[in-house]
Amino acid sequence: METTLLAQSLLLALTTAGLYAAIASGLTLEFGVTGIINFAHGEFVMLGAFLTYFLYETAGVPPLAGMLLAGLAMTALSWLVFDGFLSRVLKQDEHNQILATIGLSILLINLAMIAWTPDARVMHAPPLLPALHLGDVIVPGNNLVVLLVGIALYAGMIWFMRHTRQGLLLRLAADDPQLAVLAGVDVTRMFRLSFLIGGLTAGVSGGLVALILYVQPLVGVDLVMRAFAIVALGGLGSIGGALIGAVLLSAAENLTATFVPGGGSWGYGVAFVIIVLVLVVRPTGLFGSERRA
Amino acid sequence: MKTGLTRLLPYILILLATLALVWIDKPFWIQLAIGVAITAITALAWDILSRTGQVSLGSAAFFGIGSYTLAIFEPLIGLTLAWIAVVVVCALAATLLGLLTLRLRRMYFAIATLGFALSMQVLVVVFPDVTGGSGGIAPPVLADGDPRWQLGLIGLLLLAAVALSDTLLGLRFRPAFFMIRTKPELAAASGVPVVRMKIFAFIVSGVLIGLAGACYGGLYGYVVPTDVFTTNWSVLPLAIATLGGMDTTIGPLLGAIALKALEEVARSVIGGTGYQVVYGAVIILFVIGMPQGIVGLLRKAAALAGRRTVAGEKKKERERHA
Repeated sequence: METTLLAQSLLLALTTAGLYAAIASGLTLEFGVTGIINFAHGEFVMLGAFLTYFLYETAGVPPLAGMLLAGLAMTALSWLVFDGFLSRVLKQDEHNQILATIGLSILLINLAMIAWTPDARVMHAPPLLPALHLGDVIVPGNNLVVLLVGIALYAGMIWFMRHTRQGLLLRLAADDPQLAVLAGVDVTRMFRLSFLIGGLTAGVSGGLVALILYVQPLVGVDLVMRAFAIVALGGLGSIGGALIGAVLLSAAENLTATFVPGGGSWGYGVAFVIIVLVLVVRPTGLFGSERRA
Repeated sequence: MKTGLTRLLPYILILLATLALVWIDKPFWIQLAIGVAITAITALAWDILSRTGQVSLGSAAFFGIGSYTLAIFEPLIGLTLAWIAVVVVCALAATLLGLLTLRLRRMYFAIATLGFALSMQVLVVVFPDVTGGSGGIAPPVLADGDPRWQLGLIGLLLLAAVALSDTLLGLRFRPAFFMIRTKPELAAASGVPVVRMKIFAFIVSGVLIGLAGACYGGLYGYVVPTDVFTTNWSVLPLAIATLGGMDTTIGPLLGAIALKALEEVARSVIGGTGYQVVYGAVIILFVIGMPQGIVGLLRKAAALAGRRTVAGEKKKERERHA
């Protein structure tokens, strides 16, 4: 019985890890390239979730298609946000950079509250895949979808960074912006590109949120807090570290919730104990490098 | 450079405003003033810490620790000692967090302090026997619940915060803080005790925020964790100090007044849900339009006016010579 519980807990952790990895890798890409932590990243996820929800509930758009549309919409919004004001704070002091995306986050959360009330909603879509039975352990179909799409997003991002010309330029702009300028790279374009990719992954992740969690204005805050912990674990700016961080964090969370009495109420407290501990032991994260602090 | 009168201006204004409000005794204005004063104290405290290059997102931790310490210790050791406990516990927490985050730079520091604040909230929920859990706790009511005396006491604390901020902007500390912020290695090489100064700033900042939190808890004699440990209390000080003008005393004061006034207007226009949308909008507009804050704008205007008069005088002089 104990082993079944353990296996169930770990398998569910694995599926949420797919979602966490997709969200955190977008965040860490944006940071790695521009040096800005996008505190509004979670709100893009939240908007993606609402979009997928409304597309399904009012127009009957299948969730997978809705997710894709949400991704595209968030890419467009990211473009608007970057060219509208984020590009202007790139050269400002860090407190202004922090404040800029926090301001955006507050704005989006409260607009969502005014438009859709703070109440939680559930998308009543039938499961996209049949549940998986492994002995006594059951993994719900939607959790499988979350795992698959999350991993696909993450893998797609890794592929883009490693095997395309744009990805190469992105890495150059991240590693050494001055050198990139000397090499004739349009750094601002690369910065924008990182935000577009971040917006795309956030929007699609939002669709995943709609599949397995409640859709509500504050859902992004919860998720982005965990993404911070993952990114701190994996190293700010390291996409590779994000997956490991995501698996570690969701395993830690699920095990706490399953085996510690009352551990379910710890929420992202687990995440934060991890953040503080990791940063104290290794200020650049477990897999991060010193170059951008 | 600065005449004595302009330096005393904030003190005089705070004193006059507090006395006038206590005299008029209109509940709405007194509550508003209390709100402004508490946020101004946290913003000044945040600014003091940021002068050493430590841009914190953890103010809420100290705000909450302050109110909870007062509530937990008052039944055990009495009111006076409980207030001393607030100072001691906040100073200890600040030293601890300061030492833990000493090596962290920029965004890493911000994330770690944010993590600390959120962990504190979880800690409260996890140990309900001591803290009352998510149900909240009852700190002793400030000044027997008389709003006028409450405003008076909080006004005094604000005056103390202003005096501290001014002292730390004086010749004794400002150059050291500036060096630590911009070139920490150089500061260490020229004999500035970097670690001690950073921790010192952390303690001053943490204790001030903790006292503000204790006062806040005492306003109604009842707080819940989501009330004092909320990220709002981490973001608000940063927003106010930045919007008002960092590295000044008057900036956080102006910022607090402006933002609170705006909040009241928004609350009456939009209603209770989502009124904070104005915070988001104002922050974005400020960051784009006037990154140096209100004080930066005033300085620019003053410089412009100054140049005009100087130019005018030079012209006159030329005419006289001609």
